Amino acid sequence: MLTFSPQAIADLQRDLLAFLPELVLCAAIVLMLLIRLFPATGRTHLGGLALLAVGGALVVAWLQWTRSGSLPLPDTSVRYFTGLLAYDSLTVFLRLFLLGFVALAIVLTFFTHIPDSEDSGDFYVLLLGGTVGMMLMASANHLLMVYMAVEMASLPSYALVGFTKGRRASSEAALKYVVYGGGAAGVMLYGISLVAGRFGTGSLTDVAQGVGAALATGTLDVPLALGLAFIFIGLAFKLSAVPFHFWCPDVFEGAPAEIGAFLSVASKGAAMALAGRLVLAFAAVAPEQAALAFAPVLALFAAVTATFGNLAAYSQTNLKRLLAYSTIAHAGYMMMALACVNTEGMSAVLFYLVTYLFTNLGAFAVIALIRNRTGSEDLSAYAGLVYTAPGLVVAMGVFLLSLLGLPPLAGFAGKFVIFSAVYHAAADASRPWLAQIYWALFVIGGLNTVISAVYYVRALKVMVIDKPPEGVGDRRVPFAAGSYAAILAMLVFVLGIAWNMLSVASERGTASFPAPKATVAAKG
Amino acid sequence: MSVPLEQYLVVGAILFVLGAVGFLTRRNLITLFLCAELMLQGVTLNFVAFSKHHGQMTGQVFSLMIITIAACEAGLALALILVLYNSRRTLDVSVWQDLRESGLEQTIDTEPLPAPADEAAMPRLQEAGKMPTRRRGDSYV
Repeated sequence: MLTFSPQAIADLQRDLLAFLPELVLCAAIVLMLLIRLFPATGRTHLGGLALLAVGGALVVAWLQWTRSGSLPLPDTSVRYFTGLLAYDSLTVFLRLFLLGFVALAIVLTFFTHIPDSEDSGDFYVLLLGGTVGMMLMASANHLLMVYMAVEMASLPSYALVGFTKGRRASSEAALKYVVYGGGAAGVMLYGISLVAGRFGTGSLTDVAQGVGAALATGTLDVPLALGLAFIFIGLAFKLSAVPFHFWCPDVFEGAPAEIGAFLSVASKGAAMALAGRLVLAFAAVAPEQAALAFAPVLALFAAVTATFGNLAAYSQTNLKRLLAYSTIAHAGYMMMALACVNTEGMSAVLFYLVTYLFTNLGAFAVIALIRNRTGSEDLSAYAGLVYTAPGLVVAMGVFLLSLLGLPPLAGFAGKFVIFSAVYHAAADASRPWLAQIYWALFVIGGLNTVISAVYYVRALKVMVIDKPPEGVGDRRVPFAAGSYAAILAMLVFVLGIAWNMLSVASERGTASFPAPKATVAAKG
Repeated sequence: MSVPLEQYLVVGAILFVLGAVGFLTRRNLITLFLCAELMLQGVTLNFVAFSKHHGQMTGQVFSLMIITIAACEAGLALALILVLYNSRRTLDVSVWQDLRESGLEQTIDTEPLPAPADEAAMPRLQEAGKMPTRRRGDSYV
């Protein structure tokens, strides 16, 4: 007979409690699949159930964040499930972020009716499954988990992109996403095999020790460097960093707008968290050498990504394609903060993600609502929208200007936090050339904001000044759907004025990683 | 006689690169995904070799997981290929270029894939959700 030591049982209890939000979602997924089996309930719309499950998981995650309950301290990092996953404040922050986003996205699907009753089971199972994968991405502490989580987040996304399978564009988008995604996953896995094989373990703690030691002694050999580069290529694909971005515009154009929001916010957030966790784990072992090794590469990628995204968005006529390039540009901004290779930069990323959540979800929501009325996502379908749906145009204006980063909107706060992190990194840089890189990044970030003004304001101009086209039909959206967009716009506004709480929360999100020396000195 | 680690790694790298090259150059959808699988097999060989080299099971666990996930991915990809084939009646990827930058010309295919075999002669599957019936002359090879 199998017997377990009391220690093993206590550990299992702790692990399951730490994993509770994911478990709630998993239970909901199984339940939804079972409900579909019965003829009596097979056709019911399962959105309510999905929302309930996400709400339940959100409550659990909130309890974990506020530490009310018998859970381990989030500030000290705990490895659970035999070290495969990490439970720390970054994990819990990302859980709240992802679950909050998915809850809002499910509410959006109620207004846009994208899964009808018949397909709702598939849709929400895929959505929740992808969310579980993204939550695992945020807490992966083992290279095996990194790969599994990335695949678990990707596979449902592929299916969701091709969800409207009657539309050829949707199928084509899914094809491109699967092909590029499969290739990128293969490359990333090859990198994992080199790194894990080199150290004989996949545990991120041990790998970070090994890489940190190699960086500190300057013995980073070719296979190890190649392995790390391949892993970051895989992540760069998920982040749609240039030059691994080419799937992004096509996929966004073909996918339903709701899924575009899911990919641009949740998927990016999870990938950012994973990249940040890797970089911070290396930086925790050898802070200075990690900064010297990773900062130039990340800064280069960030600068190219942001600039390319903004320049390519300039000539777009399809609003979803425009937002895809805007997503690429915003990934670039977030990578600028990541290039700081310290906790301040990572906190800035977390802050930016939350502001980006409301802003981008709002923008995609407006696109979905207008699509339901006109059947078009072209910018021309928005011409003169202000005459028929002024409220919606105001909301869209708030979202676009927040994406641009105009005060007093949330996007400004996000950009401010990121640029100040880069500024501090430049001031604290250990080498003059590193400081120059950060200054260059700072200037490029500012210039990019100016470039991006052109296309965001052009989209607004079409809505407000252009004449409405002939025969466009009634473009007024239902009151409830309009209020959903209005509430998001209000949140964007509030977050742009009162961002102290979010700033504190995002700082706590990275509290389990060692703070940079300069910051410690300044505070103490 | 034991095979040194390097030789395994070289074979793994060759498999990976063969897969990658095929992945980048093939146009038949099914071959394309087979090439992606080939890349993963190269990685699996790497993991098993490292596992033997270090004398522990981590690499074996990795390869089991990779095979499982690759199967999931292949399942999803095949379902998608079915949808694509039903829509255009060809497995050529180059017919799928509706989504592209505005102003960018469509890539013209100078050597299109050979036309599929006569569809009427292919075995037919029953429609989903119906009791199977066997018609006279149907073959289920």
